[in-house]
Amino acid sequence: MTRVFVTGMGVVSPVAVGVDAFDAALAAGEDGAAEITRFDHEVFDRHIACEVKDFVPRDHLTAAEVRRTGRCAQMALSGMRQALSHARIGPGEIAGPRTSVVIGTTMGEANVLGELEAAWIHEGDHVIHPARLPRYGTTLLPIHLARAIGARGLVQTLPSACAAGNYAIGFAAELIRAGRADVVITGASEVLEKLQFAGFARLGAMSPDFVRPFDVARRGLLVGEGAGIFVLESEAHALARDANLLAEVGGLACDAHHITRPHPEGVGSLQAMRRAIETSRLRPEQVDLVNAHGTATQANDAVEAMVLGQLFQAKRPAVTSIKSMLGHCMGAASAIEAVSCVLSILNDSAPPTTHHENPDPGCDVDLVVGGPRAMRCDVVLNNALAFGGYDAAVVFAKPGILEDVSGPVCASAVEA
Amino acid sequence: MRARAITGWGVVSPLGVGHTAFTEALSHPDSAREAAFRGPTEVLAEVAPGARLAEVWDWDPKKWLGPKGHRTFDRLTKFLIVAAGQALAHAGIKRDREFVALAPDRVGICSATAYGSLDAITELNRVAELEDPRYINPTRFPNTVINAAAGYVSIWEDLRAPNTTIVDGNCGALDAVLTADLHLCRGRADAFLVGGGEVLTEPLYLAMRKLGVVAEDAEAPGLHLGEGAAYVVVETLEGALARGARVHAELVGFGTSFDAPASEALLVHASARAVEDAIRLALEDADVDADEVDLVCASRSGFGVFDDAEETALASVFGASTACVAPKRVVGETFGASGAMNLVALMAFFDGAPVAPLFRGEAPKRIRHALVLTAGFYGNVSAVVLRRRD
Repeated sequence: MTRVFVTGMGVVSPVAVGVDAFDAALAAGEDGAAEITRFDHEVFDRHIACEVKDFVPRDHLTAAEVRRTGRCAQMALSGMRQALSHARIGPGEIAGPRTSVVIGTTMGEANVLGELEAAWIHEGDHVIHPARLPRYGTTLLPIHLARAIGARGLVQTLPSACAAGNYAIGFAAELIRAGRADVVITGASEVLEKLQFAGFARLGAMSPDFVRPFDVARRGLLVGEGAGIFVLESEAHALARDANLLAEVGGLACDAHHITRPHPEGVGSLQAMRRAIETSRLRPEQVDLVNAHGTATQANDAVEAMVLGQLFQAKRPAVTSIKSMLGHCMGAASAIEAVSCVLSILNDSAPPTTHHENPDPGCDVDLVVGGPRAMRCDVVLNNALAFGGYDAAVVFAKPGILEDVSGPVCASAVEA
Repeated sequence: MRARAITGWGVVSPLGVGHTAFTEALSHPDSAREAAFRGPTEVLAEVAPGARLAEVWDWDPKKWLGPKGHRTFDRLTKFLIVAAGQALAHAGIKRDREFVALAPDRVGICSATAYGSLDAITELNRVAELEDPRYINPTRFPNTVINAAAGYVSIWEDLRAPNTTIVDGNCGALDAVLTADLHLCRGRADAFLVGGGEVLTEPLYLAMRKLGVVAEDAEAPGLHLGEGAAYVVVETLEGALARGARVHAELVGFGTSFDAPASEALLVHASARAVEDAIRLALEDADVDADEVDLVCASRSGFGVFDDAEETALASVFGASTACVAPKRVVGETFGASGAMNLVALMAFFDGAPVAPLFRGEAPKRIRHALVLTAGFYGNVSAVVLRRRD
């Protein structure tokens, strides 16, 4: 088995489009929260979300691509083009059967479906033009990307709700380790849609103003949108083209418990993070920074802080939640947060958790507050939880830190 | 790939629920087809009164799931749970829903669907659009995420190893074989439910009809829509043998290929090249020659351009004589579940059901190697190779 490296990244986020702008925005503690512009929100008692504001699809896509895609694929395509440029991969350079595309999402082209269904429900089937139908289809997300680069390997969507980014990145790394691909374009994309907003509002999970992770006065999450896309390469492929190795992808772990609630003792989450670390052949004390799920709901932050306490005990890593700036970008959240993880590794700096004024004594974590923290970031753990009862954690490490991560995950495993 | 054991299977289909009903019906494809493509429909009575669709008829979830605990589950979730329960029991992992082999944290699920959450999203959109978005049912909201259905299977059956939902159009359930294989390689579990499900819904039917691809009647060309769910239990061969499980077949190869259309204006693409490449990659992965393949469970659905592309590729790889069956002729096009339907059809053939309905070659006297194929609508194709255990 081979090592897997991140060699390029792209990001479309509520605070910035593009990796450099995103890096600067996180360091500056910029806020993506603002009054919603993309749909009528008057009926709700919540009016704030983290929309992607300055995204012009034609800046990144051809006219034909814009015509055949919805916003979700458009953000993913933009992320991919940025990532390829970041990785210094030219047109056609990775075309062929050894390149795959694995993309995470929660609802895919939810806007396309929302528009089609609104027209159908109010006016009837006859108003729908057939040409508009195929733009919906979660299947198409990776297909649009594969087509743009001539990839001929696996084209797979992993709809793993709000852990989708970690699922996709982790699975993409496994494809390369197993020798099934040399290069995988991976990450996740999500759009803000009225129905999702209504759902979170109905669940009473949404903050009226800001996101305050681990704060005693936290009032819930804000929904966001965006895409985080990566170029992952096998060690051999990356070295052969003299690629810049940004970070190594370590272990992935995932499991499922309750459909919406975190487990009261965080059993699955603890196991997922522990296994991600063990699979990376690391000990918990080697983790420098945890990019937390940190949604700022009462239940999530309390359980997550408790689990982090159990996992790391005395030697506590720094913890940050950039959802304080980005909101919860749902399926894309852990992919965008993964971009932040890799930036931390590159910069030896952790981005701040903003809007944190009154620490919750029930959330005893070493939170990065008051601005970015310069610190050694050799190993960063990206944690995510999701509807479907999913917990998924992925480890990123500075190149040269990890030992061989290709062995079995569990002691009871029957295969080496 | 390293040989993997299939130790059990379960199915919810228009041909019936469970091994006996499915195998029996598959053995008599003509009458099964008539029974499957019945009309008027139960699910789409209002929008498609005259349509002949392969629904899961007389579906009574209480019969399979008991009276309680599944009120908020949608139709797909119930299909998946029933198919999963059968597969786990058939594999000897559970009896009366209790684990009798392996442990909860060693069994996972890799489940495919293409349009899994469409029903739940539509239900909520109706309330949001016609009443008020503030009154959508919050207990239904989690069903709008595509992975909810498989998540419920893990929770219902207490499966705590990795849970993955896969979307790759019609290819998802075969892609799930690869996902399970990679997780087994890393020791993340000892067994996986591998397969998927799809349900016929009003928006899906209307969209397909509007696209002009749905067959006008049972014998007309076009897609004959179906629904259902199926799982096989996939384990490491060593683990299955060590626990004394019956190995119904070995999974020995996987291949996939994507081929984009040449025209910028197109999305849908019937690609003989992708079919051929997926088959060749699967055979290479299995280290099996084309002439060793005794049977192909094909993707053939009645959708002309796709059937033609598949025929071209089959002729190119296998020549004229290799036997090819089209399970979709009796269960309909079940999209994300179609690879799983093909897999369980093959399990029935391995168990002795007559090989039908054939569209090329003659029924093999003995099946040692078989290839299962599914083609998506966008130039995506996946294939797996199976071997009967001697």
